[in-house]
Amino acid sequence: MTNSTEDTTAPNTTVPTTTAAGATAQAEADAKADVRALFETQAIPFMDQLYAAGLRMTRNPADAADLVQETFVKAFAAFGQFQQGTNLKAWLYRILTNTFINNYRKKQRDPYQGTIDDLEDWQLGGAESVTQGRSTRSAEAEAIDHLPDSAVKDALQAIPEDFRMAVYFADVEGFSYQEIADIMKTPVGTVMSRLHRGRRLLRDLLADYALDRGISAAGPATARSKKK
Amino acid sequence: MTDCGCDKAKAELEEYLHQELAEQDAQDIAEHLATCTDCTEEHLVGLTLTLKVQKACQEKAPADLRDQVLLRLRDMQSSR
Repeated sequence: MTNSTEDTTAPNTTVPTTTAAGATAQAEADAKADVRALFETQAIPFMDQLYAAGLRMTRNPADAADLVQETFVKAFAAFGQFQQGTNLKAWLYRILTNTFINNYRKKQRDPYQGTIDDLEDWQLGGAESVTQGRSTRSAEAEAIDHLPDSAVKDALQAIPEDFRMAVYFADVEGFSYQEIADIMKTPVGTVMSRLHRGRRLLRDLLADYALDRGISAAGPATARSKKK
Repeated sequence: MTDCGCDKAKAELEEYLHQELAEQDAQDIAEHLATCTDCTEEHLVGLTLTLKVQKACQEKAPADLRDQVLLRLRDMQSSR
């Protein structure tokens, strides 16, 4: 320690607070610690949720963890621009979504992306008419209810990304249509369309899954022979 | 009380489920659901779908991610 001689004037503290420069440095350090403490209290608790959303986006745990880390780094750097009292969760999800689009989407963009909203349902593999003729709705609800979480996640992974995220934002995070529109940078009408179509596809996939596994309340002899 | 009918109800069930309807419209749908088994069952499928998706997407971040992030935030401040 080179400053041991100074300590003789202030034996109870190792921090030099007697000079103006020292006071300024101390104030700056305190301010930094305060900002970090605020961020840790307010933003970090959203980590699990952002990670779950990141898993839906990237579809693998390592990329999801990286994405969340990058999101927090960017959010912290911009935290001074965040208006206290406004919706921090939505703000974090906007950063998450932007980071995902800039860093990850390029390398895994599927050929339909960009025009997905213009595709017809039959082009997406939807089979509404088949599903509806199959069983009563109460049986359908019961069958879906009995599916394992893994089946639901697989089905989510299988639907187009923009539809998947609209469903995630609305159904898991409970964002309003307007908030989702802000996060996805798209009109509310497009959000509604993505949400409806995403949920329709999901429902069809889950009904198929239940039927294939014989998880159905529709009664005997309705199970078809397994595909594949 | 006039029933809004199945057509209006079916068209707006998704918005009803996501609480995006104006108060009066939401009330119309609720009143219709109270008397219509078919629409109630359709609504139940939608609700079930939402609950299943919610339940399936509750992953926790890896334990070391929090420490990594906090460390990076400290590094950011000390390098400024």
